Amino acid sequence: MDIFTISLWGITGTVFVVSLIKSKQKTFESMNMARGMMKNMIGQIVGILFLIGLIITLIPPEVIKSVLGKSNLLLSTIISALVGSITLIPAFVAFPLVGSFVDVGASIVPAVSFLTTLTMVGIVTFPLEKQEFGLKFAVTRNILSFIFAIIIALTMGMIM
Amino acid sequence: MKIVGIIKNNKLITIVSLTYILLFLAIPDKAYSSVKNSMYYIIEMLEIMPVIFILTSIIDAWVPKEVIMSGFGEKAGVKGSLFSFLLGSFSAGPIYAAFPVCKMLLKKGASITNVVIILSAWAVIKIPMLANEAKFLGAQFMAIRWILTVISILLMSYLVAIYVTKESIPIEEEEDLNLKNGIDLKVQYCIGCGLCEKLLPQHFQMIDKKAKCKEFILKNEQIDKLKSIINKCPVKAIDFK
Repeated sequence: MDIFTISLWGITGTVFVVSLIKSKQKTFESMNMARGMMKNMIGQIVGILFLIGLIITLIPPEVIKSVLGKSNLLLSTIISALVGSITLIPAFVAFPLVGSFVDVGASIVPAVSFLTTLTMVGIVTFPLEKQEFGLKFAVTRNILSFIFAIIIALTMGMIM
Repeated sequence: MKIVGIIKNNKLITIVSLTYILLFLAIPDKAYSSVKNSMYYIIEMLEIMPVIFILTSIIDAWVPKEVIMSGFGEKAGVKGSLFSFLLGSFSAGPIYAAFPVCKMLLKKGASITNVVIILSAWAVIKIPMLANEAKFLGAQFMAIRWILTVISILLMSYLVAIYVTKESIPIEEEEDLNLKNGIDLKVQYCIGCGLCEKLLPQHFQMIDKKAKCKEFILKNEQIDKLKSIINKCPVKAIDFK
């Protein structure tokens, strides 16, 4: 375990103890919630983690490098943003997935656009959003989120 | 029938397992190294996963959301925007889980700008999630993306408010609480945390990872209990009808 994970466990442990002292009931309720969420997602999480292994093994790094690498950056960024918009996986498992792509040589620019549209743009949840907030709001918010995802990605490419 | 249901609910893992089985039969070497490559990510994930879920739930339980929500309104200005960021960042669940919360705030008078901030912050900014991002992609990556995202959300929230007026958002009229005769559960927003089932098993039940409301006649003495679960539901998917 790296320092980072250990300190996160430390912080959470402290918060947990404080929470327990302040209210046992509230703490137990929140633990129930944590367990419920984890149980719901575990199938998807395990599935994606094993998928990562398949991707790394079966797709040669050169292919990933040429498709998602520094050449034709704009196109790969826009395509990644589109894929992110239609995918509905928890952001939680998206990080190791994207991390594994970057590790074998993918550029961070498409990686960022995928991560950002994954969470902010929702094609699958669009009907729900339209129902609650109206067509105009849903369309405007999703289109702007898509554009900003690409701007964020390109800016990160320049900074890093 | 039960097996079909299990497969339907776990499409991804079913496809991945089948691929592995085929691979083990065809090219065992590749299959073996796939498992080995996955192991690294599985171990990393096991180290950080429980802590993220626990932290998210504790934050969700303790952040005084009622206080934050009362700080909204058309005139709330910078304070309103800041509160919107906090509310979005400290809540659990995916973006669609924020829809009912935002709808309620709109009824209470929150501005379009603030609703966009909550939705976007809810989607991308989560403190435990930032930790996860830093672990797999590096702290620098996480920090720069966070800063750029915050700036983008602010710009976006003002842009949306220019184009979209409140009149274009459908808002139902408030009903009298005395006329309530049952419980309305918006299944599409349920994140399956199971809190309602644990607290009021006589009224709620988890079926296929989603909460279901059992049929019953609403009596006055139940209203207080139900009110408390309506407030506790992390995505505000439960309401009287």
